[in-house]
Amino acid sequence: MTTDILFDLKGVKKSFTRGKETIKIFDGLDMQIKQGDFLAIMGPSGSGKTTLLNMLGGVDQPSSGEVWFDGARIDSLSEGQLSKWRANNIGFIFQFYNLMPMLNAARNVELPLLLTNLSAKQRKQSVETALQLVELADRAAHLPKELSGGQQQRVAIARAIVSDPKLLLCDEPTGDLDRHTADEILEMLQLLNEKFGKTIVMVTHDPSAASYAKRTLHLDKGEFVEKDLAA
Amino acid sequence: MTKLLNILALVAKYGGLLVTLPIWLPFWIIWFIFEKTGINRLIANFMIATGLYLTFKNLFRKPLRLGLTCFAIMIAFLIFSVVTTLKTALNAGVELSADNRLVVVNSINFTQPLPYAYVNKVKAIEGVKDVVHMNWFGGYFQEPSQQIVTMAVDPENYLKVYEEVVIDDEARARWFGNRRGMLIGRALATAFGWKVGDLIPMSSNIFSNREGGHVWEMEVSGIFDGRDEQFGTNFAVFHYKYFMETQTFGGDWVGWLTLTTADPALNEKVAKAIDEEFSNSQAQTDTSTEKAFNKAFIEQIGNIGLMIFGIVFTAFFTILLVVGNTMILAIRERTGEIATLKTLGFSARSIFGMILTESMLLAFIGGFAGLGLAYVMVEGAKTFLAQFLPGLVLSDAVAMQAIGFMVLLGLVTGLVPALNAYRLNIVTAFSRR
Amino acid sequence: MGSIFSQISAVVAMNIRSLGQRFWMSLAMVIASAVVVAILLAFLAMAQGFSKTLESAGADDIAIFTREGSAAELNSVISRDQVNILETAPGVVKDENGPVVSPELYVIVDGIKKSSQTEANIPLRGLDDRGFAMRKNVQITEGRMFTPGTNEMIVGAGILREFDGFALGQEVKFGKVIWKVVGVFTTGGNVFESELWADVKVLQSLYNRGSSYQTARVQMSSANDLEAIRAFVEGDPRLNLDVETESAYFKAQGKSLSYMAYFGWVISSIMALGALAGALNTMYTSVAERAKEIATLRAIGFSSLSAFVGTIVEALVLAAIGGALGSIVAFLLFDGLNASTLGGSFTQVVFAFELTSDLFIQGGIIALFIGFFAGFFPAFRAARLPVIVAFRNAA
Repeated sequence: MTTDILFDLKGVKKSFTRGKETIKIFDGLDMQIKQGDFLAIMGPSGSGKTTLLNMLGGVDQPSSGEVWFDGARIDSLSEGQLSKWRANNIGFIFQFYNLMPMLNAARNVELPLLLTNLSAKQRKQSVETALQLVELADRAAHLPKELSGGQQQRVAIARAIVSDPKLLLCDEPTGDLDRHTADEILEMLQLLNEKFGKTIVMVTHDPSAASYAKRTLHLDKGEFVEKDLAA
Repeated sequence: MTKLLNILALVAKYGGLLVTLPIWLPFWIIWFIFEKTGINRLIANFMIATGLYLTFKNLFRKPLRLGLTCFAIMIAFLIFSVVTTLKTALNAGVELSADNRLVVVNSINFTQPLPYAYVNKVKAIEGVKDVVHMNWFGGYFQEPSQQIVTMAVDPENYLKVYEEVVIDDEARARWFGNRRGMLIGRALATAFGWKVGDLIPMSSNIFSNREGGHVWEMEVSGIFDGRDEQFGTNFAVFHYKYFMETQTFGGDWVGWLTLTTADPALNEKVAKAIDEEFSNSQAQTDTSTEKAFNKAFIEQIGNIGLMIFGIVFTAFFTILLVVGNTMILAIRERTGEIATLKTLGFSARSIFGMILTESMLLAFIGGFAGLGLAYVMVEGAKTFLAQFLPGLVLSDAVAMQAIGFMVLLGLVTGLVPALNAYRLNIVTAFSRR
Repeated sequence: MGSIFSQISAVVAMNIRSLGQRFWMSLAMVIASAVVVAILLAFLAMAQGFSKTLESAGADDIAIFTREGSAAELNSVISRDQVNILETAPGVVKDENGPVVSPELYVIVDGIKKSSQTEANIPLRGLDDRGFAMRKNVQITEGRMFTPGTNEMIVGAGILREFDGFALGQEVKFGKVIWKVVGVFTTGGNVFESELWADVKVLQSLYNRGSSYQTARVQMSSANDLEAIRAFVEGDPRLNLDVETESAYFKAQGKSLSYMAYFGWVISSIMALGALAGALNTMYTSVAERAKEIATLRAIGFSSLSAFVGTIVEALVLAAIGGALGSIVAFLLFDGLNASTLGGSFTQVVFAFELTSDLFIQGGIIALFIGFFAGFFPAFRAARLPVIVAFRNAA
């Protein structure tokens, strides 16, 4: 079954226990994300942005409630099934890039492809395409430490899109970058959304970053609140 | 001050490189050849194809640490292999003793003699195949410190009883026919450069020659080899008759008897029969299997031997412990990366495999380097030590034991971090930073 | 610059205090150096105990005669005639009973070792009252001296410790002959305690030696008489004998286990290399983990020398702790440990491991060697760490 709804969260509850205390993050959250959306999620620290992103990425699971992705429930999948699901459907972009320090740019981009059945030749092709897209083809043989922050993040983006996933999840993708470089990265995300139809969910606390998104949701104490965007 | 430090650092760095040259140069040459011939790329491609590429890259991410850890492991396995080889060589007498051979000695102690008449009496006992009598000559060459294990024997029976002494028919005939002839082992021949036909003045630190002095002239009739590589060929045998006719003590006595039984099953019966035969004689006997006799002899070295091996093995295991600790910590540093890999969709099982493979590889690289170095050292020391400690061979059994410990090391050091990685929760891993 | 020492001491104190945070890595280095030291000490204590046991047996003013080239008492033969000639040698002390000369027999018998329950060679020495009195510190601690002309013997305290079946009053069978243990003697811990003593005349007849002996000991008025005696021996063709002082003889015998000390040094040096590799890992990790701290201090104005010294001192402290630990363990495990092994005369020598202060110094040297080199190279890395690291992001 295919609909244009990519994500459907129904009555999601999530709580942590820290010591004796139980901290409720979400208490019955409902949310839908459409195919082709570029959604920014904003909110103060502790509002649950990252937890939400983790649940969308199948990295964390809700205490109760349902998470539907493309017509299938993912909240009850096993660890191993989730691994496969992530490999097939999600591209991750982290604040600190999380590149493997001992691998060069091309090898980093190639990582997700190692989980597929592609031949070495096909993998090489995909890696080249992805690096060209982020305009880093000439840096393919460089190690992460030889690249600037912006370049590292672009390698991370290439890694996220190389296996052509439907959805990109970005956790403060510009949090560690200067304004100018941040704008470059965000433009690139915009391009991926508009030209390649990737659905993007981006967590950020930077309003100007959020302004690149098609819509912005504000999260506060586990609930979405309406808020006028000044920008 | 900083300038001085910089200069010192350069000196230290290149000095250190220079000093350790023999250790890393071979590795570097291999690497260089691999790089030039494209074998490196082949290996890398193979690694990628088999999903080992990440493991490979992880292993080499900190070359210095890899080198140091491998070096420590190498040392551990070097010590293990060499000491185990020494131990095996010491015990070779026990391991190589024939099943059907018995040794008859004076019950007071094996240094006390037996009457010559015992030889024929023992031969007449049922179940006894061949008997040879031997006398300790206390031989040395030129200097008392250059001791040579030398025994006066009955030649024909000696070669019958000791089948592992291998010699061609020509030499055998030459020895039987020459009253002053002696057979020397290959190791002895090599050590002193003696050839067939050489006349050797052999001295005794016990006996005196009737012609005066303590020197007997003997001619090398043949050089024998051992049937097994471990059989020590560091001794000489010569004619009992020549010995008895020329030494001053006189009398018809022998040091001890070695005999073979028709069947190992008869050993116990024969031993008992011999000891009973002489229980009322002036010299009582004590008969035991060759294995038991050799074992008792080694036991004389006593608990010291036990202590040495105990100490060395403690050392071995401690190095493994220390190295293992380092390896576990090294992988713990990578928690964030492992979490990233998991987020990208690498399964817990494949990450488990990756880490275990890495620790296995490390154990094998270091371990085989140590085993190889031990082999080179043992081979090098073999001829040099053949006179004192014959049968020095790094046996397959020792190598197998070493490989077993490598597997164990790889498993023990890899299992804990691999399990940690397997269970690693991505959310907590990221929030920990 | 005047505050360089306060800088260094501040950095050292800080490094040492933060050792706890790097507990496991630090522990690895401590254990590595502890084991190296303990192993070295074990071997040295073994060699030392053995050689002391033999060396302390010899006296400077006693000359010992053996058949030339025989190297050990066991192999030697001396006839009654030769002994008679020796008695006339210059420098031989005489008392009311004539020259103080002890002709002796030395045969090997079997005893059952307590530790392994297997037969081992024990020397049965034949001597007389004179020979007995000639030993330094000799004392009958239990029972009495054997009666000449009888199958009685006295046993050394070492034999009693390491072998079964030689208790006072017990009957011992060697071949067909039955001996009775009538006394226990000590000689201050030296090698004579590893022997059985009986009347030399009885041994001569039981072991068919006629009137021959194996060695002769002679009391000299002083060690200086040896040259005169040697000249006497060389001047008489009937005396094909070697002569040396008893202390020289035992000194040579004591060397037979000195390879243990070499073996110990070789093994522990090789091990020290392995431990050094492990320790270098520890120290490089330590520097890497403190990179930001070190850079921050440098940014504040601390000198690179203080970072250098701080790292070296940390390594030295860890190695020294290991060395101390290893010494304590070695002392508890090995000092005074009884052992027996084959000595130069083909018989068992009972001895005790001995850990003396000079051995501890050798252990300390090897530990500090490990510490210094383990700290030296990482210290350069620490000293040359760019200050910019302090401003770099954690990732």
